[in-house]
Amino acid sequence: MNISTKTLTTPDLRTRSHKNLLLSTLLVSLLGSVSLHSAAFDFEGAVKGAVKDAVKKQIDPQAEPSATPATDNTVPTAAAQTTAEPAFNWKNPSKEEEIALGREITGNLLGAAPLVKDAALQKYVNSVGRWVASQSERPDLPWRFGVIESDDLNAFAAPGGYVMMTKGLYRKLTNEAQLAGVLGHEIGHIVKKHQLKVLQKQQLLNIGAGLLSDKYAKDNKLVSKAIGSGAEISARSLDKSAEYEADRLGLSYATRAGYEPFGLADVLQTLGQTNKNDGSVALLFKTHPLPEERLATLGDAVGGRLDNIKNGKTLENRFYVLKN
Amino acid sequence: MKKLTYMLIAASLPALLMASLSIAAETGSALKNDSMRYEPYSDAKITGSFIRGESLQILKKQGAWLQVKTKKGTGWVRLLSIKRGVSTSSGNQVSGVLAAASGRAGTGQVVSTTGIRGLSVQELKAAKFNETEVKTLEGYTLSSEQGKKFANTGKLKTIAFANLKAPQGAAK
Repeated sequence: MNISTKTLTTPDLRTRSHKNLLLSTLLVSLLGSVSLHSAAFDFEGAVKGAVKDAVKKQIDPQAEPSATPATDNTVPTAAAQTTAEPAFNWKNPSKEEEIALGREITGNLLGAAPLVKDAALQKYVNSVGRWVASQSERPDLPWRFGVIESDDLNAFAAPGGYVMMTKGLYRKLTNEAQLAGVLGHEIGHIVKKHQLKVLQKQQLLNIGAGLLSDKYAKDNKLVSKAIGSGAEISARSLDKSAEYEADRLGLSYATRAGYEPFGLADVLQTLGQTNKNDGSVALLFKTHPLPEERLATLGDAVGGRLDNIKNGKTLENRFYVLKN
Repeated sequence: MKKLTYMLIAASLPALLMASLSIAAETGSALKNDSMRYEPYSDAKITGSFIRGESLQILKKQGAWLQVKTKKGTGWVRLLSIKRGVSTSSGNQVSGVLAAASGRAGTGQVVSTTGIRGLSVQELKAAKFNETEVKTLEGYTLSSEQGKKFANTGKLKTIAFANLKAPQGAAK
């Protein structure tokens, strides 16, 4: 099920990739969901170029910037396209490269904490997340969401549309609007490429300092090298400003999606009432501003903007309750 | 005699109810300096103010507003100006007005203590890529159409709302 174009050597990559996309889209629509599932690929050879085909097939063919003024800023630029060698373009990674990077990071995180073995839960979280992501500026990413086995309270975003949250945090939620708010925050990080930019900066510095040669930069193991050991990257902090921005976006997306706007704020309130010495919030509070600061900062941004927003839904009736 | 007992019980009921209601009023604290208003509207008359850190009682929630009571008076304030619970860290005390409003009442949240499966930095560092789990995760991927269908089932309707911007002069 791999419509590989690896053997093509035409320099006109832009045309080629368009054709490729068309072909992929056609195949996906012919084969339906089968192709979506069979498109999984082996990461080891991923960044070599095969990844581009595999990933493209997974990208939602029906993605439409419905309902929102979505601007697609994910179209690979000419700079990314003219690289003849299939190297990882750190200066300007393509959407496919972004997804490959996120997949590697998420795979490592799942190595530390696997998915909760509850298909109904995962399906529910994907439904809410997909709907919220459709209100973002990047509705066309292959968004995927997962609840992982951990009693910690935390959530993680990785480039390209990978969002994980812990079972401990899910357990604290009581309605769908709160879930939408939490997922919205992580979606905001991905839309703004917060994690990606941190990695880019670091890699470009390494290349600049001669720590990475051009040759080395073309190594297909580069992605693994770039993100360090295991899922360490998931334990890194972003700037405070990035967290505040993700809070604002999370609230905005959930509100646009038709949810009660204060879901995320509800969760921040709950986090604010968790004992700060509790081990379950150690990593969260180390990598994020405290909930009080986040609430106050979000409040400043909201001002009177929500005064006239009514009829937002909380949908606690269909909120999926954990079995254990 | 029996009648009298009933009457006494009946008479004390309202008082009992009142007592439980006042227990339901939740404690909170101010996240910033702000004004209180006579009604939950931004153009309503100002009835007083409070300063950051001041503790207060949360009486009612209405939309984006909370009715609060400080030592000096009562009024309405936007809910993001208030932190629920006492400002010290004493675990979960989600109860009262807000709990009811957010559907949280009666969930009896459990604080994890022993045997936590955590995600420490060390554990994250030591993690090994798990291809099977990633594939399982990717198997759950939904299309935007499927997302829309799910939204329709819940009668969720999109609304126009521009992304919130960073407040001016804020520590970005």
